[in-house]
Amino acid sequence: MVGYLIRRTGQAIIVLFIVTVSTLALVHLFPGGPVHALLGPRATPQQIAYYNQLYGFDKPFYEQYIKWIGQLLHGNFGFSDKLNQSVASLIAQDLPKTVILVGLGTVISLTFGIPLGVYQAVRRYTLGDYVLTGISFLGYATPTFFVGLLLVDWFAVQTRIFPPFAPQASTVAGILANPRALVLPVFTYAFLLYALWSRYMRSSVMDNLVQDYVRTARAKGASERRVIWGHVFRNSLVSIVTLLGLLLPTLVAGAIFTEVVFNYPGMGLAFYTAALNVDYQVLLGFTVLATLAVVIGNTLADIGYAILDPRVRYS
Amino acid sequence: MSMITPPPEFPHATAAPKEPSHPAGMLAPERAAELGLAPPGKPRGLARRAWEVFTENKLALAGLAFLIFIVLFCFVGPLFYRTNQVNTDLSQYLCRPSGEHLLGCNDLGYDQLGRLMVGGQTSLEVGVAAALMAVLFGALYGALSGFAGGAVDAVLMRVVDAGLSLPYLMVIIILSVIFHPNPATMVFIIAVFYWFGPARLVRGETLTLRTREYVQAVKVLGGGQLRSVTRHILPNAIGVIIVQATFAVADSILILSGLGFLGLGVSPPATDWGSMLSGGLNYIQSGNYSWLIYPPGICIILTCISFNFIGDALRDAFETRLQRR
Amino acid sequence: MTALLQVEDLRTHIQLKEGVVHAVDGVTLHVDQGETLGVVGESGCGKTMTALSIMNLLPVGGRIVGGSITLGGRTISDLDDEAMRDVRGNEIGMIFQDPLTSLNPSHTVGAQIAETVLLHRGVTRKEATSRAVEVLELVGLPRARERIHEYPHQFSGGMRQRVMIAMALACQPKLLIADEPTTALDVTIQKQILELIDDLRRRLGMAVILVTHDLGVIAGRADRVAVMYAGRIVETSPTGALYDNPRHPYTEALFQALPENAAETRERLYSILGAPPDLVHPPDGCRFAPRCRYAADRCRAEDPVLSGESTAHTYACFFPVSAGEKTEADRLVVAGTEQEQEPQAVTLPPVGEVVLSARDLVKEFPVTRGAVLQRKVGMVSAVAGMSFDIRRGETLGLVGESGCGKTTVGRMLVGLEKPTAGVIRFSGKDMAKSSGRQYRRERREIQYMFQDSYASLDPRMRAGSILREPMIVQRVGSRKQQLAKVKEMLGRVGLPESAMDRYPHEFSGGQRQRLGFARALMLDPQLIVADEPVSALDVSIQAQVLNMMRDLQQQLRLTYLFISHDLSVVRYLSNHIGVMYLGKLVEIGTADEVYLRPAHPYTKGLIESAPTADPEAERAKTHEGISGELPSALHPPSGCRFRTRCPLAQEICATVEPELKPYGLPNHLAACHFALQPPAEVLAATTEHVP
Repeated sequence: MVGYLIRRTGQAIIVLFIVTVSTLALVHLFPGGPVHALLGPRATPQQIAYYNQLYGFDKPFYEQYIKWIGQLLHGNFGFSDKLNQSVASLIAQDLPKTVILVGLGTVISLTFGIPLGVYQAVRRYTLGDYVLTGISFLGYATPTFFVGLLLVDWFAVQTRIFPPFAPQASTVAGILANPRALVLPVFTYAFLLYALWSRYMRSSVMDNLVQDYVRTARAKGASERRVIWGHVFRNSLVSIVTLLGLLLPTLVAGAIFTEVVFNYPGMGLAFYTAALNVDYQVLLGFTVLATLAVVIGNTLADIGYAILDPRVRYS
Repeated sequence: MSMITPPPEFPHATAAPKEPSHPAGMLAPERAAELGLAPPGKPRGLARRAWEVFTENKLALAGLAFLIFIVLFCFVGPLFYRTNQVNTDLSQYLCRPSGEHLLGCNDLGYDQLGRLMVGGQTSLEVGVAAALMAVLFGALYGALSGFAGGAVDAVLMRVVDAGLSLPYLMVIIILSVIFHPNPATMVFIIAVFYWFGPARLVRGETLTLRTREYVQAVKVLGGGQLRSVTRHILPNAIGVIIVQATFAVADSILILSGLGFLGLGVSPPATDWGSMLSGGLNYIQSGNYSWLIYPPGICIILTCISFNFIGDALRDAFETRLQRR
Repeated sequence: MTALLQVEDLRTHIQLKEGVVHAVDGVTLHVDQGETLGVVGESGCGKTMTALSIMNLLPVGGRIVGGSITLGGRTISDLDDEAMRDVRGNEIGMIFQDPLTSLNPSHTVGAQIAETVLLHRGVTRKEATSRAVEVLELVGLPRARERIHEYPHQFSGGMRQRVMIAMALACQPKLLIADEPTTALDVTIQKQILELIDDLRRRLGMAVILVTHDLGVIAGRADRVAVMYAGRIVETSPTGALYDNPRHPYTEALFQALPENAAETRERLYSILGAPPDLVHPPDGCRFAPRCRYAADRCRAEDPVLSGESTAHTYACFFPVSAGEKTEADRLVVAGTEQEQEPQAVTLPPVGEVVLSARDLVKEFPVTRGAVLQRKVGMVSAVAGMSFDIRRGETLGLVGESGCGKTTVGRMLVGLEKPTAGVIRFSGKDMAKSSGRQYRRERREIQYMFQDSYASLDPRMRAGSILREPMIVQRVGSRKQQLAKVKEMLGRVGLPESAMDRYPHEFSGGQRQRLGFARALMLDPQLIVADEPVSALDVSIQAQVLNMMRDLQQQLRLTYLFISHDLSVVRYLSNHIGVMYLGKLVEIGTADEVYLRPAHPYTKGLIESAPTADPEAERAKTHEGISGELPSALHPPSGCRFRTRCPLAQEICATVEPELKPYGLPNHLAACHFALQPPAEVLAATTEHVP
């Protein structure tokens, strides 16, 4: 197990290396380089050269990379001239709010998706299963922003049950002070995830139900309830855990769309604003942070899998 | 999805014996034992069986029917329903659906129905092209990695791991900002970070196929690797690839529409279903402009659901167990 | 005395897409207190479905549609699910074929056994756990108290099956149903498990239903036997009477298809024509009639019922085969109509010059860790220095338990694995020295017959293309010549020409194995390496394939390396037998020598462990067999690799590795310090198998 942890961490570091290199390389794809994008089309070559030197963009790529990584390791994610604010402070300001949205959405989607997925597998090919399968398919095929638009139209514009915007507070406390305004964004965010969980859980439970060990449990005299929750559930959950790691990029994407639709003051919205303003320091810093989150999440998911599955734990 | 599997104890149903004709003298004595060949009729190859399974799936057939309809609607429709999708006409600003404009107009006075067709062309073209590009490249990459094995495989797969860890949408948004895309660059932008998933799946499939005995049999016969790959591995992996491509089209359309919604999609006057929605948010909050959001939104949903239905049915048909990213 | 279990006219249907399968169709049987009932039949005969019906554990779509099941005087077939749960695991315990998949991978074995106790006895978790330890000790698991905290994957196959047994017995059921309990295990382990079940039955006074396809397994263990065919019982009798005097033609045919019965005479095996009937549309009349050599019109019109001179021995046949006198006269009468079926003694073909010789073959597989760097952390020693010769026209049988390296040897010969060290000479030429065109040319001479015929045939190709592929790869002949050759080979293996347009899945298992054999023959090879070619087949189909292999060997003067775990099959087909243990050849010699006068203790143990279809011989066997299980090839024992399981092992065995030395007759070699046969005169030892 210790060996496994070391190996898995080593892999994560390799992945992080590849990802950071390609992210920095991405910046150099800006037409005329990052400085050109920063200064706008009217910049003179002298200005560009000056800033290139100032930011070190005239150095070889590997030197820039080493410097950049060194800064990242010190928590320096760069400085946004457009916002006149360090990217780190921007993150400190917006990240907690996004965590609330993502956390609530994930918890709610899991709360519904996992049990309903089990229900669908046990009652497969019944009316209930077909209805829920239909909902899952809708969840797969409906873009998150369209879910948001529909919810706004139905519950904010037509019926005025909920406000059409997310709470416009700058602090976490302010966000949480207005739970009614959180309802639509959270459900928008949770819908796609619900579809994913329930569908994967359904097929995972169905796969496990035909295994021999289920027959053994029944042969012992275990009730169907016990067979499902005592035997099948845990083994099915194991495969979901690895999935959780793979789905992290989807979680990020969902947050961006939800925040844009509801004007939710989180990192997604800030990233979108930075994209419209070509604020490359913010784009770069946020992307690196999100990647880090994904890689760490992935690693944790794999370790969780190893803990849940004794075959890995004891190898 | 698992179907009801027959208990392992039951052999295939066999038909009544029939006598084979043979030159005398070279028969194993129990030739009569070999009479139980499958029922007469057309031999059923995998493709044929797959088609049978596919057509049993009513949802998939409905999906296929809808796709045929939407393709005709987008590509043939404009020949009959002529609208001006190049010049704005502010006199028709947000006009309601009427005899003249069946689905009303948008804020630039473009006819919505006609725009739905033109935008659909972009969505479908970009979706299909990006999916094909990503899946073909991913399949090639994955097959190469799986077949090479060893250190090459390990290095190639770390790259895929890295790709799968990238926050896809963020990277795509950055690329869109850089390139101010037209439909062609859009295809490239979507595909260039999408191929990792298909690559990993095809690599897994290649690894499995490589150890299959019928691939090993080629080696015993003195055949080379080229033959193994072209005659055995690729034809047997094609099912996985097709299924992947089907899901990839749905994903690409969703991605394109997402970028369009954010105002980062194809540049005007070109449009796609997602771009048509991008202004919608402002208007539905200020009044009942439902014709602005429902038609393109429903087109996206139905098209993606259709591809998902078809993909699921194909997966059942090819009896593969894969997981979508 | 009323029977413990009484099954009366049981009918079970299974709803599948293509129709309703009449899986069990009127089965009546009973089991008395403390006795063992053997239920035997080929795959698809409904024996497992009968067992699952008793437990009411039918798969999806299956249900009991008629008849009754009574346990201890209480009818259990109409119990609701809740009441039935009290019966399962409590009054009836059940064990299954594959102990690995039958155990929950994410629960400790202790918890899984304790679960049974918790479900049926009002005890605390602690009491249940101590009961788990108790039964694990009962089934002979060493260090049970510590091992209850381990997970199934940490146990070996044999130990897992012991855990399954412990689980089934935790509540002391009155009846144990064992469904193919040893099919997935090696013979030495099989013997241990069967002994254990027998022993526990006696000590706990329970009844056992032993479901198996193997007449040998039943012979020594069952008090009574029920033979099933196509969802019905066709004959039932006390074990001795059935084996001495089978009355149903199907039972008789099953016995005659066993290679062990023809091992000494080397007669052609009797093989049953055709395949079992389709149980979606079962035929009218006797279900065996279409395959029966004695069938008359009446058999095809009327359905025979179970009857007999005594109630103990009954059979469902209008024309039972006569008692004890399976005489020549009887056979000749039959032979008049079906001459081809007449078993005839076949002499082994004369052997010629050495075709293939292997010297000091070694194959090691590195065990690696790490994704990129692939550090080597160990070596699995799969084959550790093997030398042998194969002569033209002969069959060398290679036998051993799974993991002994026999398959690796075969794969090296056909070029699927590269030897780590050693030389393979074919017709005197070193195979490793050629490359390119010459290599391809030489590959023609040695062909391979895979164990799993389904996996070895590309599912996307028609049989015709599959058979043509060897010639296309080797660029032999024109298209027309290739097609002609395909037709010829189909004929030789007994398949119709129409088979060319069929896909692999459209053939039955035996037919696919014929197809695989035909492919191996397409390049006119001299040597065919056959890896377990019949181990997945039912005994009647196995007989067909073995007969075919023998016929073609004579017609085409083929040489075989026949690899199998089944000693009786190897003995039937081979001139010479090599016995492998953990990568080493421990004994080699002529088939009869090795089988009748084994020199190596492992060979002797293997022979004793393999069950034969002879109740008296089985009961007379010692209870020893071979103890323990195969050690890991990652860290093979020092000296003699068998010493950890050998009853004769002494100190020298751990330090000095024994070499192959001649014993008994010439050409009989064994590697043992304490061989069971007297050493041969050194001068008398020729160098047939070792230079």
